[in-house]
Amino acid sequence: MVPVRCFTCGTVIGEHWEEFKARAANKEGDEDPAEVLDDLGLDRHCCRRMFVSHQDLVDVVSPYQ
Amino acid sequence: MATDFDVEFIEDTEREARFLVRGITPAFANGIRRAILADVPTLSIDTVRFVENSSVLFDEVLALRMGLVPLTTPEGEFDEDDTVTLAIDVEGPATAYSGDLVSPDPQVEPADENIPLIELKDGQRLEAEAEAKLGRGRDHAKFQGGVAVGYRHLQHVEVGDDASEYGEDEAQIVRGVIEDGDELVATSEFGHDLTNRYPGKEVTVEDVPNAFVFHVESDGSMPVDELVLRAVDTLSTRADELREKVSL
Repeated sequence: MVPVRCFTCGTVIGEHWEEFKARAANKEGDEDPAEVLDDLGLDRHCCRRMFVSHQDLVDVVSPYQ
Repeated sequence: MATDFDVEFIEDTEREARFLVRGITPAFANGIRRAILADVPTLSIDTVRFVENSSVLFDEVLALRMGLVPLTTPEGEFDEDDTVTLAIDVEGPATAYSGDLVSPDPQVEPADENIPLIELKDGQRLEAEAEAKLGRGRDHAKFQGGVAVGYRHLQHVEVGDDASEYGEDEAQIVRGVIEDGDELVATSEFGHDLTNRYPGKEVTVEDVPNAFVFHVESDGSMPVDELVLRAVDTLSTRADELREKVSL
């Protein structure tokens, strides 16, 4: 699951994750990730890396309960 | 010693503000910054009793995620030992969001509703009672009301003669807020480059002594202006405490 807050500055970023995932090109959408991040108001590079480098593992782990 | 500070807002929204304070020392400016980060009490989930958790995350991981969700904190309504008990009950397949936390008190609610807590698959269920308590940023980052709080010197710009025609054509980068006569201008308005604002001019930039531009963001537990006021209040309470302790 995506972290609730940015590790470095503490801004709440979790709420933007689903929109980012749906819109950004390296996830499911076709927009430029940089523009989507600007749009969401994440302008510090500490918050931006949280999304760019995140990989959801819930689907990978869920069969092994 | 009672001195008045001159405060001027440059940018002011619910969650983010930029303001200029004149007449304070660097030490006091840093005191305010630290008070905003570490001394303003905010509510956060601290203890969670799980009734059922068959999700892919362990109880303690989920409890931490719930703790990091900012809760709105009304001023003066809560004492140090008060708790608010929020409940959550979500059954998969669905995603449990921070907005699913049900609060008994309409003044205490998750500030953001769309933070995914955990994705639940078919047959998985999350039911828990979460106790929120009042805490301070110095105890745990989840109690921090302000995020990314910083300050810079106000910069004074003096426009001089025309720049020499064959001089170097270099960008002159400034960040923060500049003072041009009586006007305060955020450097983002001209791309942080003074040569955009004053083309073909010699400009000198100087720090204005004892004038600081603060940039404060709130996590949503309270509006920024209230956050700053409460931080200043904690400073004066602590100063009073100290005065009482050292006077015999």
